[in-house]
Amino acid sequence: MPNWKAMVRSRLETFDFDPKEENDVINELAAHLEDLYEEGLTQGLCAPDAIERALEQVADWRNLSRKIQLAKHPEGMMNNRTKTFWLPALISLSAAEFSLLILSWFSLQSQSPSWSLITIHTSTTSSTFPLLAYLQWWIVLPFCGAAGAYLSSRSGGRTVACLIAGVFPWIATATLIVFLTLIGQIVPFHHQWINFITALSVVSVPPGVALLAGAAPFLKKPKLRATVG
Amino acid sequence: MTKRIRSKIARGSAELAILSLLSEQSLYGFEISKDIEERTNGALCFTLASLYPMLYDLEKRGLVRGRWEANSAGRDRRYYSLTPAGKKELEPLQQEWKLFFCALNRLGVPNA
Repeated sequence: MPNWKAMVRSRLETFDFDPKEENDVINELAAHLEDLYEEGLTQGLCAPDAIERALEQVADWRNLSRKIQLAKHPEGMMNNRTKTFWLPALISLSAAEFSLLILSWFSLQSQSPSWSLITIHTSTTSSTFPLLAYLQWWIVLPFCGAAGAYLSSRSGGRTVACLIAGVFPWIATATLIVFLTLIGQIVPFHHQWINFITALSVVSVPPGVALLAGAAPFLKKPKLRATVG
Repeated sequence: MTKRIRSKIARGSAELAILSLLSEQSLYGFEISKDIEERTNGALCFTLASLYPMLYDLEKRGLVRGRWEANSAGRDRRYYSLTPAGKKELEPLQQEWKLFFCALNRLGVPNA
């Protein structure tokens, strides 16, 4: 006989309510799966097929967890969104920006030669970065992306929330560049679009790829597998 | 917009189905899904994932009440029954749906 309670418990892990209520939900869902399994057996299915058919009732356990949470405690959903998206996204962004700041500071302290300085222009502003610090930053970024995606995934975030939390620094940077360029439309500026494309490709695209590389391992949904015991 | 209307209709009809069924007798989740599927010839189907969030929502709104009891096989199951508030809610809900189907009939929608 499959251990339905263990199976349900391992998938519904993101409830915020008290243990008794959580146990009730787990026992109830496990009982339903047990009934479906036994129905499958009486219809002539073999045990593995009966298990598979019972589990087909839930395509997305994370989504079910969220729906149950919403049904039982709708007041807690804002917390859930903060937990699964905003907090991981802000941690990812803060880590990315802080690491760039630290690396730039160390690089500038060590008297970088002028050839190693790169200047990024947008229509309204320009920034100079030490190239070495910038390249080092790309190495750090996958960890920032991984942190955002991992925290979101651990809190029960959906794949899209994990993805956006992971690449949030890239979204923020790209949005800033687009925003500054659009403002530049009001003030005439030569070579604006060339600068925009340069800024987007140098400042935004490689960091985006680096963040995505870090976040990618956390975007897979847990594979459903029956626990027989 | 069409999707939202569809989803509201689906949700409304599902609630009506559950409340109507529970007005007859107390049932547990698996029985509710099987009864509805059988009595509607499969037109209305509840998976585990669609049934329980709805039952918990109805319970939270005070329309149904769940309690653990042993079923005929001696296994603990959570039986749901209609509360007085649920009984009160059911009648106007049934009336609303009757009006809805009458309106569709008048528009010539077959079998509505």
